[in-house]
Amino acid sequence: MKSILKLFGVLMILVSAALPVVIPEAYLYLIGLTYLFAIVVISWDLMVGYTGQVNLGHTTFVGLGAYIAALLQTPMRIGIAIHPLAAIILGGLAAALVGFFIGIITLRLRGYYFSLVTAILPLVFMQTVFIWRDVFGGEEGFSIAGYSLLDTTLSKYYFSLALLLVSLAAMRRIVKSRIGLRFMAVRDSEELAESIGIDTTKYKVLAFVLSSFFAGIAGAAIVNYRYTVGPELYDIPLMLLVILSAVLGGLGTIYGPLIGAIVIYLAKNWWLRDLIDIASLPINDEIVLYAILIAIGILMPRGFFHELRERIEEKA
Amino acid sequence: MIDVLLKIIVFGTVVGGIWGLVASGFSLIFGVSRILNFAHGAAFVCAAYVAFLLSGSGFNVYLSILAGLAVSGLLGLLVYLLTRPVRKNEVMVIIITLALALLIQQILLVNFGDKGISMLPLVQGVVELNNVKVTNMRIASFVLAVTSLVSLDLMVSKTSIGKKIIATSQDSEAAMLIGIDVEKVFILVMVLSSILAGFAGILYAQIFAISPETSLKALIYAFAIVILGGLGSLRGSIVSSFIVGYILVLTITFLGARWSEFVMLLAIVTILVVRPTGLFGVEE
Repeated sequence: MKSILKLFGVLMILVSAALPVVIPEAYLYLIGLTYLFAIVVISWDLMVGYTGQVNLGHTTFVGLGAYIAALLQTPMRIGIAIHPLAAIILGGLAAALVGFFIGIITLRLRGYYFSLVTAILPLVFMQTVFIWRDVFGGEEGFSIAGYSLLDTTLSKYYFSLALLLVSLAAMRRIVKSRIGLRFMAVRDSEELAESIGIDTTKYKVLAFVLSSFFAGIAGAAIVNYRYTVGPELYDIPLMLLVILSAVLGGLGTIYGPLIGAIVIYLAKNWWLRDLIDIASLPINDEIVLYAILIAIGILMPRGFFHELRERIEEKA
Repeated sequence: MIDVLLKIIVFGTVVGGIWGLVASGFSLIFGVSRILNFAHGAAFVCAAYVAFLLSGSGFNVYLSILAGLAVSGLLGLLVYLLTRPVRKNEVMVIIITLALALLIQQILLVNFGDKGISMLPLVQGVVELNNVKVTNMRIASFVLAVTSLVSLDLMVSKTSIGKKIIATSQDSEAAMLIGIDVEKVFILVMVLSSILAGFAGILYAQIFAISPETSLKALIYAFAIVILGGLGSLRGSIVSSFIVGYILVLTITFLGARWSEFVMLLAIVTILVVRPTGLFGVEE
């Protein structure tokens, strides 16, 4: 069974590497962006799916990584221009640092404080963009054109594919390690985990820092990919898109959220809006996505990856 | 100086009363059913929109307000129905109520735009207090809000329904064992709390403008209030809503409205560092 899955994985990597040969550039651009979105979704799953702490402000770290990298690599903003790769890594580290402080304050308390505080974070960070308008560029953000790491669509595509594979491998390693087991122990029963000597706060904070780091890296990569940074990277619609993708795929599975991210992001940016326009309903695409999320949450709270795996295991 | 101070006290008290209505319901729902109702702000906004639209198209103002309150009550019922199948799954409860809140916000945005609405005040006129002008509507709002809060507190602490609510919030399984219909208590609390939020929304719309985005703002203030007062403590929420009201008015007066979310986060973080159980909370 395992070898079949492995074979499938290798096949998928080969197919995605060969995609540029058959797919026109405009679609390639969208698919590359989807890979970066997938990193955001998987990193959310690393925290929420594995430790059971509901992070409602993951886009804070996407936006932070994006703004930090953009500021550091564009000389017109604050007079600094470091190498884009260094800027991307610093973006990830800055996000991890903020995650560390928020985590230390909220995760030592049991219960709902973490969700409440993270829910506010994106709104607060969005206001920073308007308060310090000349640094962050207000609602329009600013452009990093000319200072990006990537120039052609092809290089963008392969860069985001490589970044996705590296992040995926790293996060998979984390959850399969002893650390990952402790994350899951915290999720399944905090009391029990504590009673066998696991420092639950430490592991919750660790998961949050790792998850924020990958979100920051992904945010910084998104800026280098599309050349613009703006407050919508902090915003709640993106957050809900992340949640929907992960829940659809199945929390705590890494691969489920990956598939969910690809399906949802392509659906939203490819044909969902056209479909609504054709039906001429008084709704927008977000309403449809939120309704789907509520339906999945009630009818299939464990996501389709769990169901699929159970079906396969039953047959095997 | 004196009139600035007076202004802050007066407006902070009015604002605190209105947010107290939102936060006490949020706190009550959490205390009884352990559900973090992210859709609570939606009840606040929806009631105001319904009342505004109906009274705008010629219906009697008081009937329109009643209709708005009814809609917010129905919203509470909807939250109950949606969360019922997944109540044991904390992650999904949070996600579903948040999705519902944003769904409603988007529906309002698509149909009525983001411009914001405000209702004609029910009472006209202005009172002058040491050079500070206070509209009668603000005084009326404060009186109505405090009356509602006091009667809510009396209901919970004095009546037999209140005893059932307290029993359920302390231990819902034990409450079930002694014959309390816990589901009925859940429904009652969610509907009642949503109506209170709706009432706050209607009062708010007569003083300020309300837009679909206000629902998130209301939610943030409610968070700050319940964390300051202690999660699940009704009296704590009532007292801390006024504290938060003064902090808010201070922030808006001296720094500007953009800073209010910032200051709220700072307040929450400070409380969590210094006294995580809040002012009146009990250790879980």
